[in-house]
Amino acid sequence: MTSFALQRLPALEAKARAPRSLVHGLDARLRVVAAFGFAVFVVSLPNILALLAALTLAFVVAVNAKLPLRKTARRVLLVDTFLIFLLVMLPFTTTVSGPQDQMLTLWGMPASWSGLWHAIRIVLTSNAVVMMMLALVGTLPAGELVQALSALRMPGQLVQILALSLRYIDIIAQEYARLRTAMKLRAFELRCSWHSYRSMGYLLAMLLVRSLERSERVLAAMRCRGYTGRFPVAPTRPMTQQDWGFAMALTAACALIALAAFSPDLSWLEGLH
Amino acid sequence: MVSQAAHANEDSRQALLSVADLDAGYPGTGAVLRGLDLELFAGERLLITGPNGAGKSSLLQTLVGLMPMRRGALYFHGVRCASDEDFALLRRKVALVFQDPDDQLFCPTVLDDLMFGPLNLGQSPAQARSLAQAVLARLGLSRLAGRVTHALSGGEKRLISLACVLTMQPEVLLLDEPSNALDDENWQRLVAILLDLELPMILVSHDQALQAALATRILRLVDGRLRALAEPKSVQDQRRDQAFASAQTAAAGG
Amino acid sequence: MHIVDGALSLPVIVTGTTLAVGGMAMGLRKLDIERVPAAAMLSAAFFVASLIHVPVGPSSVHLIMSGPAGLVLGWAAFPALFVGLLLQTLFFGFGGLTVLGVNTLNIALPAVIVGALARPFLLSASPRRAAIVGGLAGAGAITLTALLVALSLSLSHEAFWASAQIVLISHISIMLIEGAISAALVSFLRQVKPELLVIPLQTRAGEE
Repeated sequence: MTSFALQRLPALEAKARAPRSLVHGLDARLRVVAAFGFAVFVVSLPNILALLAALTLAFVVAVNAKLPLRKTARRVLLVDTFLIFLLVMLPFTTTVSGPQDQMLTLWGMPASWSGLWHAIRIVLTSNAVVMMMLALVGTLPAGELVQALSALRMPGQLVQILALSLRYIDIIAQEYARLRTAMKLRAFELRCSWHSYRSMGYLLAMLLVRSLERSERVLAAMRCRGYTGRFPVAPTRPMTQQDWGFAMALTAACALIALAAFSPDLSWLEGLH
Repeated sequence: MVSQAAHANEDSRQALLSVADLDAGYPGTGAVLRGLDLELFAGERLLITGPNGAGKSSLLQTLVGLMPMRRGALYFHGVRCASDEDFALLRRKVALVFQDPDDQLFCPTVLDDLMFGPLNLGQSPAQARSLAQAVLARLGLSRLAGRVTHALSGGEKRLISLACVLTMQPEVLLLDEPSNALDDENWQRLVAILLDLELPMILVSHDQALQAALATRILRLVDGRLRALAEPKSVQDQRRDQAFASAQTAAAGG
Repeated sequence: MHIVDGALSLPVIVTGTTLAVGGMAMGLRKLDIERVPAAAMLSAAFFVASLIHVPVGPSSVHLIMSGPAGLVLGWAAFPALFVGLLLQTLFFGFGGLTVLGVNTLNIALPAVIVGALARPFLLSASPRRAAIVGGLAGAGAITLTALLVALSLSLSHEAFWASAQIVLISHISIMLIEGAISAALVSFLRQVKPELLVIPLQTRAGEE
């Protein structure tokens, strides 16, 4: 029956809680804020060496968070074919700015160095951000993530939608998997055909209808337990010394990278962007 | 093993579906079924009982290749099934009805759901439609044809989930707790349908009344293996009636 | 069609994020507290749909189903699809963090538009006609999303324009598939639960 089980959210697996490390002991709010802050920081970095340094920093945190490296690498590298296409095209679609910028000519199309560097910058940026995010936030149990976002002033309704979704995704995914198994027993194979698409459309519609009816039962049950439209939010524990330590270390590392990247003394690096 | 003893006099007949020395379980867990033997012969309605969690549903899933076999062999018409392709072909002939009809029914109307299997088998929409209508007529459910499946009662859904696999024209039926949550009327209808089908079937059930009404043989799944129970009462009655009848004939003849 | 971090220019990110926040505020403001569990459950269902891969030739694509989401959810499609994107980003690493707003806008805005346009035609449609409208809505939402993605990219860097055009053309197959599946989906809902299509979730406030 496992054949149609979808990729599971790591946060829903009990294993997400298992490994102990510095990162796993950190405050959930700090982890969310740090991941977003790091993303904004990396996106604003000007050159490739700085991006490499940021990627290294993200890698160090990922190792500490005991991210399963091979699985993560596969996830990080698993970008849309769309994106790969865009990146491969970039050297050819970027106008060659001068004779020095001309990298090569393929089937009469000139490729530019500046386009190539641009593509590499995008790859480094997105991978650094995603790796740091998977290390800090991807390792959070679902409940803690919800509490953290709520403590960080995400609107209450949005927090509730997130919390209830997280609770029911797995149940709906299992329902999907059981229906697909039953379809397989009736000799169904998902192919490129109208019959296949129609069957998938029916299947998804059935999931929607049942989800909606389930939500009515869930609401009724929640009301029976005193629900008035608000979730109680657990009091957040104060930041520990360890939390502050991590926050400062990360800020310091980023500051160092920024200093090196934007420092006029190192302007020779600019040649690489 | 006991079943073989019970059928020692029928060894000349080939089992329709059989497994020998089967170990099975989900990957990463212990084997649920350990050293299990089972034979199903033509004309049999074999009923399997056993405590909750004994692996009854797992057994049915293993028989259609949904749960991997770790050891042992499965034969259909004496031909061994091993590869995924073998089981894909087997599933066209051995139909499993799920315990929960909601796991099986997904189309807007009853007729759509009944046509789904035949369409997968490559029939034209017209053929599939007439086959679906024929099955509904045979089960006395024609009035449900155009109904929205989702809006049917639990009992009706169960009958329709059975109808859905019957349009595949199977040779063997596997039913997981078929009488669960059925009201009296639908229970009677189900039993009547199953008796009328004359298909060999394996039923997993706790329902004593269903045992009495349908079973030609009862096995109990304990510790991953099947053990024979005493002959079902209905079979005993039948035997006694036969014995009585033959005695009468003998008496009349004598 | 997730855009990743580092691909967009600052003005595009700021504009997109602002518009996305506006859309979400609109969706949440109109969403009665009683309908929150329903929005969450549908959000979860659409998230599950987005994990399904459908074969196209030698490759496969994952579903988006934003057209049906817009039909069923109305403005609530913004928060619902945002939650799905957030989870995909946080746990699977699809897309990016700084581009979350732009990605939400690119998927949810077409959903809302297409939903509003298609809904009046579904009021008293036969299942067949509902299928046609649903198919157009499904394909239309993806087309608009592809256009918005191309627009966000080419507004960021002119170098993206040429490839964005080719990408648009290569997305025709995805538009067709989403259209076909949406057609069946909407036809099903028309037959089984028509009220889901006619009144979008967020305007069903207080109705019990």
